[in-house]
Amino acid sequence: MKTRTVVSLLALSVMPAGVGAQQPALTPRDSAFHALNRLAYGPRPGDVPRVAAEGVMRWIDRQLSPAGIDDDRLAQREHRFDILRYDRGDLATMYAEAQRERRERKLAAAADTMADKDSASPIAQRGRRLAGEFADLAVVRAALSERQLYEVMVDVWTNHFNVYAAKGADRFLTPDYIEHTIRPRAMGKFEDLLIATARSPAMLFYLDNWESVAPGSVPPTALRVRARPFFGRRPGLFGPMRDPARQDSVRRRALERIPKGINENYARELLELHTLGVDGGYTQQDVIDVARIFTGWSIERPQQSGDFAFHEWAHDRGEKAVLGVKFERGHDMDEGIRLLKLLANHPATMHHVSRKLCQRFVNDDPPDGCVDDAVAAWKRSSGDLREVLRAIFHGPDFWAATNVRAKVKTPLEFVVSAARAVAAEPDTSPRLAQVVARLGEPLYLHVAPDGYPEREAAWVNSGALLDRMNAAVALASGKLPGVTVVLDSIVSAGDADQLIGVVNEKILGGTMSENTKQVLRRELAGIGDPAQARALAVGLAIGGPEFQRQ
Amino acid sequence: MTISRRVFVKSGGIALFSVGLDPLFLARAALGLDRLPPPSTALHRPVLVCLFQRGAVDGLNMIVPHGDPIYYQERPRIAVPEKDVLDLDGYFGLHPGLAALKPLWEAKTLAAIHAIGSPDATRSHFDAQDYMESGTPGVKATPDGWLNRYCQHDREHQDTPFRAVAFGPQLPRILAGSAPSLAIDDLQAFGLRAPQPAARDRLTRAFEELYAGSATGLLSTSSREAFEAVQTLKRLDPGQYRPASDADYPRGKLGRALLEIAQLIKADVGLQVAFADVTGWDTHVNQGATEGLLAGRLGELGQALAAFARDLGERMSDVVVLTMSEFGRTVRENGNSGTDHGHATAMLVLGGPVNGGRVLGQWPGLDPAQRFEGRDVAVTTDFRDLFAELLTRHLGARDLSAVFPGFVADSQRFPGAIRG
Repeated sequence: MKTRTVVSLLALSVMPAGVGAQQPALTPRDSAFHALNRLAYGPRPGDVPRVAAEGVMRWIDRQLSPAGIDDDRLAQREHRFDILRYDRGDLATMYAEAQRERRERKLAAAADTMADKDSASPIAQRGRRLAGEFADLAVVRAALSERQLYEVMVDVWTNHFNVYAAKGADRFLTPDYIEHTIRPRAMGKFEDLLIATARSPAMLFYLDNWESVAPGSVPPTALRVRARPFFGRRPGLFGPMRDPARQDSVRRRALERIPKGINENYARELLELHTLGVDGGYTQQDVIDVARIFTGWSIERPQQSGDFAFHEWAHDRGEKAVLGVKFERGHDMDEGIRLLKLLANHPATMHHVSRKLCQRFVNDDPPDGCVDDAVAAWKRSSGDLREVLRAIFHGPDFWAATNVRAKVKTPLEFVVSAARAVAAEPDTSPRLAQVVARLGEPLYLHVAPDGYPEREAAWVNSGALLDRMNAAVALASGKLPGVTVVLDSIVSAGDADQLIGVVNEKILGGTMSENTKQVLRRELAGIGDPAQARALAVGLAIGGPEFQRQ
Repeated sequence: MTISRRVFVKSGGIALFSVGLDPLFLARAALGLDRLPPPSTALHRPVLVCLFQRGAVDGLNMIVPHGDPIYYQERPRIAVPEKDVLDLDGYFGLHPGLAALKPLWEAKTLAAIHAIGSPDATRSHFDAQDYMESGTPGVKATPDGWLNRYCQHDREHQDTPFRAVAFGPQLPRILAGSAPSLAIDDLQAFGLRAPQPAARDRLTRAFEELYAGSATGLLSTSSREAFEAVQTLKRLDPGQYRPASDADYPRGKLGRALLEIAQLIKADVGLQVAFADVTGWDTHVNQGATEGLLAGRLGELGQALAAFARDLGERMSDVVVLTMSEFGRTVRENGNSGTDHGHATAMLVLGGPVNGGRVLGQWPGLDPAQRFEGRDVAVTTDFRDLFAELLTRHLGARDLSAVFPGFVADSQRFPGAIRG
């Protein structure tokens, strides 16, 4: 504790000017711009001087305690989002209803309703609208929240503990997962976050653990086979049951659906992605025993809330061993909790997760020193994420000239930073989220459990770059429906050189290259209408190469 | 909440929005882009076109085992009657909806592979499509797709922006990864958006110069590719394209995608791998027999493929089209005159290099004892054996260890789809 305080104080006194004596110091404004690009989704008009005046390290410390930051404006904006008025039960009911309607329509159907397009029943439409709204909510929060670092961390964990919102029951489980599993723990202890994700219905469904059972175990209800559909599996179980052949096939299929053994999916990803990392030193036998420990961690039917449930009948009661640690027989759910605590505080986990954080905040190729600092803080604080982050932001690597503007913005970072740069006011329509999707990373729709990669090669490509340019021009010229842009607050138009100067200052943080200035000067020459000139300059700046970096 | 299954939206430069900057640009002289890139590729490069039949096509009604009485016993309502089947080899026959493909069979440029599928037993569309696109059955964490990994590791092919193109709004999982690949929804709309051509050219030039002068690293190479692609398409003028030999593409997404693929192949822009989705195969209800739902889908597929072959004419000697689907369907029809999720299915390969006129693969038979879990056609050919053959013998890949990790490509197991 004492050491940390000393380090922090030291940092506070030195850092804003850039730590390394060997490097030219960042000016207070440059430091503020850098911090706003990494800990936040880019500066809004006026943010850079504001943060520079406050002192960047002081601003960072405030961001590390989000509860102390007033965020009323966002809270008011959130009221407009209907999705937040539905809890998991409501959504589960809606989902089950939509499924039932869909099946009934199909059964009633003439051939053309069978085409793959979703039948657009009112309830399905409502579901779709809410899903769109939920994606937009993430963009709106990122754009408007004063608790910027907190929103960044929500994105980090959403990605680290990825679920795919278009897989069966995850269609209705994902909003609850984000609101009640991820968000409350985004800056708490890693252990708490890990345990919460492990028992979240969204994750249990996504990685199939809900149907992982000890071999040979039989659910108490298995013998009275019920013609009830479960979670999006959709044999035609509805409608009249007169046909005996059909009844027979229903029974057979229902029996086939009873899970017959362990499913290793969650166990494997838990070790490989969520905790230890692929080189974390575990074996295939460890994976199997982890899967055995989690047998019985399951979900209630959607009609009964879709809540977490521990099924004792499905739990493997044998003895297990993971990473050489023995798990005595007969401890039911406690085995899993004990295992998660073990994994959360394992050195391989500290290293793997710290590395990802350094990748996110410092460089796609994270410097060893950053990872070491983060791991040291993790050890000192037993995985208090705020302390781990503090260590990263106070470390020399974060401020090193080689790491400033070394990262390319992800699609979400680009869209949100562009919206912030032009003081955009997004409504609840999913337009901005659609732009994020168009640029390559639709929210909650990364199919594989690894989450979106943290390396630029994953999203920088020719098609996506053209789309960034198109999005920038549309945004700046106010042609993006659902987003109000107020350029007046940023740029008071004057002559071309003045305009270019202001755009450089306010949108590019002073990073505009000579080449960009020349191109802008040429393009602006002869444009009489100041509003058009301003829109063009802002569009080219946001779509241009400098703004892609952070 | 219904979110349609669209994965990995690394998208092409198709505009979401229309940009109203035209007065601004119209007021000024239009500066055209008259620098054309040199023709970047030699002729006669092999091209692989992959069509994904999403939803799991019923292989048994596509390539019909009409010589097996069990087929008719198990499907009293939906079997294709003997008289309607277009016989291929005395045992198998084409669904009549695929009649347009029969001449290609006669010309030995069309083959079918039956009883092909995944070694993984899943009957989930989600998982099975994921595995077929990642190329790693049973492994969910694979971050990229096998077509992209092929492009990453086979560096002999010149990288052009059009080397790997998915036709659709979003880049599919099969092409996700670090090798450059494009999703193009509409060739005509690719690039910067502005209502007037002059404004569009001007905007294009401005951004091109911004990136040429200031971009670094990957931003620089990707933007160069982007503007090269834009210029190539401007030169191609896709709006003016007319298919050759009066090839008649069916209306709809598939016909349009194949037409655009044919156009890019003929334009020699370096296209090597093309991909498109074909939906509508999840026939749980009222599947139909000679006519009906499946017949309609097959009709569109057959017509589109036939038009594509006709349009390309001689160029088909460099082209192989592959159809794939995540799994097949139950041998026995269900209570709704449809079929449920099964295991093995059938795939088609078509093109000049194809060892056609044959149904390839080992036929496991339809007897319950020969089926997978007593109900589905068993898989006798791992889909990777076919994919590996196409990559090796058609595209000339040498080492597939990184394309299909954990799988040893062995020419002994290749189904023999490509002429030796």
